[in-house]
Amino acid sequence: MSRKNFQRNIFISFSIIPPLLITLVFLAIPAVRAFCLSFTDANMIGIGGTSFTGLENYRYMFSDQVFMKAFRNTVILLIVVPLITITVSLILSEILHRGNLREAGFYRVVFFFPSIISLTVVAIVWSFIFHPTMGLVNSMLDFLHLSQMKRSWLGTAETALGSIAFTLVWQAAGYYLVMILAAMTSINNDYYEAATIDGAGWFRQFVYITLPEVKNIIIITIILSMSGTLNLSFTLSTIMTNGGPNNASLVLLKYIYNQGMTNGNFGYSMAITVFTLLFSIILSIAVQKLQRREEAV
Amino acid sequence: MKIVRLVLRILLILITIVVIYPFVWSIFSSFKTNEEFLASPFSLPSGLYLDNFVRAFQKSNIAGNFLSSIIVLICTLFLVVLFTVPASYVLSRYRFAGRRLIKSFFMALIFVPVSLIMIPLFSQMSSMHLLNNRIALSFVYAAMLYPFSIFLLSGYMESIPKSYEEAAEIDGCSPLRTLVYIITPLAKSGIFTVVLLDAMNAFNEYAIALVLITDQAKQTIPVGIATLYEAQRYATDWGALFAALTIVIIPTVVFYIAGQRYLIEGVNVGGIKE
Repeated sequence: MSRKNFQRNIFISFSIIPPLLITLVFLAIPAVRAFCLSFTDANMIGIGGTSFTGLENYRYMFSDQVFMKAFRNTVILLIVVPLITITVSLILSEILHRGNLREAGFYRVVFFFPSIISLTVVAIVWSFIFHPTMGLVNSMLDFLHLSQMKRSWLGTAETALGSIAFTLVWQAAGYYLVMILAAMTSINNDYYEAATIDGAGWFRQFVYITLPEVKNIIIITIILSMSGTLNLSFTLSTIMTNGGPNNASLVLLKYIYNQGMTNGNFGYSMAITVFTLLFSIILSIAVQKLQRREEAV
Repeated sequence: MKIVRLVLRILLILITIVVIYPFVWSIFSSFKTNEEFLASPFSLPSGLYLDNFVRAFQKSNIAGNFLSSIIVLICTLFLVVLFTVPASYVLSRYRFAGRRLIKSFFMALIFVPVSLIMIPLFSQMSSMHLLNNRIALSFVYAAMLYPFSIFLLSGYMESIPKSYEEAAEIDGCSPLRTLVYIITPLAKSGIFTVVLLDAMNAFNEYAIALVLITDQAKQTIPVGIATLYEAQRYATDWGALFAALTIVIIPTVVFYIAGQRYLIEGVNVGGIKE
């Protein structure tokens, strides 16, 4: 029996330790490193050594106008993009779920596609769509006799961030549609039949049957969408606008990159990393708490 | 009701156009000369002008980028399959000290984007002399993919009936043999789904690859394409750029058509199992 127990423990250890170790070395330790270095004036080339500066980086951060701008832009994206993405996904899933269309499966496959293609490719293609002279958006406006609305979408401070937000929604909506649709498909059809007999219309059925049944998956998709937006906004901000014009589309990850890789300010860059890490953890806990509270009611 | 369905159909067709058009337009543009593209960016190409593709290969390092991406992809998937399958099995079936802690550790990481730690990762890899190392990049990708992969696969394994393993145990089968000969075949489609989702994520990753691989000869596809775009902004050889984009889009479409059933299933399972 003890030989068997020994064998069992060896098996458990060999199964768990390698992935745990890799995750610790390449994810957890860098995070700890960021935390430690955020209290120093470390730089990329190591000139002048590294000295402990306490909370100086954090103090500077909140007086740094560019950081505040990047933070504000990120918060805007984290509110607007998940909200629009999940709303679009929800409406489209409801159409595919209840529309009784033979070709529903085809649309699911098509709408999912943008989420699997390289985001770099997406960013480049959409840069052309928003292009001031060759772009589709401005050409459409000409065609619709709305030429006065034409502009350089990515080159204007008022529209650059919005254009990035639009591209993020376009890219991700199909992914969440698939998740929400799967949850909708598992709803018992009897509920709808009973509601129809009782004379409830489509909208009432959506609000009183579909929504409560898919509430959990909506919370999950919101969290996933927020973490996705935080992550992917870096690629779009880098390729489509380079954070510009005048930092109008700068996001936190892009500023971390600029400070760390372009300016070589490791210490400061790590302080922003720690801030963003804490911010994203608090955000995801908050949304999960919201879900628990709803469940308790 | 017929009217409603007609309106829905028109709406869905319009959205389909919005979804597909950017890709179709890029592919069409890759067959146009630069003059043709500038004169009429939205027309159909007048012929199959393949010179763009030749220039795409000459001006960029796209062939080398593909090779890099494939090296990284193969190493990453090897690390994922080798370690995710046993870990998922143990976490879904065995009760041992620290199990909950390890599970919540992986769960918590699902929601934290890895690109957040690109600067500390760069500084750590630099002090470990692992910059410009594609195998090292694969380890980072494996670390980035373990949380979601283990979550998805252990959920899948929980749905396999226990009776198979109980029978094997009575026959004196060791845990390792049970895993290799009984669980792995039963979880085959779950493993396949994880592999496809992970392959897609590793192949498309941009931020970490940008920071850890600075040597142009070793860059992966997403970084290489972005570098080419940056260069063509000033050289304005749009034809070559669109040809390069097409070279990335076409294999993705083929991969997607072949694997979409498993990809979509993976997304479904990942969401519902919560």
